Amino acid sequence: MPFIVAFLFAYILWLVLTAGSNGLLWSTEELVAGLVFAAIVGYATKDVVGENSTRFLNPVKWVTAIAYAPVLFWGMVKANLDVAYRVITGKIRPGIVRVPVELENDAQYTIMSNSITLTPGTLTIEASPEEKALYVHWINIPKGLERPESSKPVAGPFEKWARRLGR
Amino acid sequence: MNDGDMGVIVRTMARATIPLIGIFGAYVVMHGHLTPGGGFQGGTTIAGAGILFLIAFGLGEMKKRYNKNLYSALEGLGGLVFLGAAMLGIGVAFFYNTLWHNGPFFNGKPGTLLSAGYLPIMNLAVGLKVFTGLVSALTAIALWRRWKE
Repeated sequence: MPFIVAFLFAYILWLVLTAGSNGLLWSTEELVAGLVFAAIVGYATKDVVGENSTRFLNPVKWVTAIAYAPVLFWGMVKANLDVAYRVITGKIRPGIVRVPVELENDAQYTIMSNSITLTPGTLTIEASPEEKALYVHWINIPKGLERPESSKPVAGPFEKWARRLGR
Repeated sequence: MNDGDMGVIVRTMARATIPLIGIFGAYVVMHGHLTPGGGFQGGTTIAGAGILFLIAFGLGEMKKRYNKNLYSALEGLGGLVFLGAAMLGIGVAFFYNTLWHNGPFFNGKPGTLLSAGYLPIMNLAVGLKVFTGLVSALTAIALWRRWKE
C-alpha cells in the first residue's frame, strides 16, 4: 500500500504544477500524463516512503496539520521578534541542552525537530530516538533551566502537536 | 544510526521529498517544449533524488536497491530512443520532424502538451539517459572505498 501514498503525493504535486492548462483547470492530456508519471514515480519510490506511511492518508491528520499551521506561524513570529531584541541588546546566554521528549516514531521526531529549528533562538542539532531526547542549541538559557525536565520551556506546545501529527 | 547514513531527521525528510523531486523532474522533462528545462535539466533533477537517497540512507541501502544491469540497459535505451526519433523522417532528411508535419500524434496545437513532434520523445529519452547515467556514475564513485592506496 505505500504505492498509493507515493502515487497520490506525486499526482497532487503534478496537478499543482500543471494547473491552468485548460482555462483554470487541467486539460485531459495533462491529467493522463500525470497519471502515467505519478504511477512511475510511485512505483519507483514505494519502498522509500515506507510501509507505515499509509497513516498519513487519514483526513483527520490533514485537518490537524491545517490547525497546526497558525500555531507554528505564531511561534515563528514571536521568536523572530525575540531574536531581533537579542541582536540589538546582545543579551544572550547560549548553550546546548538535552531535552527529554515522549515521542514514539521517526515522523514525530522530525516534526518536533523541524518546528524547534524553525522558531529562531532554538536549533536542533541531534535527535536521538534511542535515549528519547533532543539536543537543542538555545540562544538564551534562562537561569536554572540548564537541564530541562520536559520540552515545555524549550519548545512550548510543539511536542503535543508533534505527537498528534505523527501518530 | 546505522553505518554510513544520516540521522533520523534527514532520513525521514528524504522519505517525504524523494517522490516530490521525482515528479518535479518528470514535469520538467515532459514540458521541455513548453517551459524552461528539458531532458538534461529534468534528468539531473531526478538524479538529485537518487543522490539524496544515497546520501541519506547510506551506501549499504543503495547497494540493495541499485541494479547495475538495469541502469546500464536503460541508459542505452535512452540513447536508442533518441536516435530512433531522429530517424523517423529519414525519407526526407535526418532529424526531419515528420511527426510534426504529418504524424499521427504529437502534432497538436502549439502550446499544448502533445505538440512539437518528436521533441517530447527526445526529451524523455535524454531525461532517462541523464538520470540513469548520473546515478550510475555517482554510485560507482561512492563504491570506491579506498581513500588512499
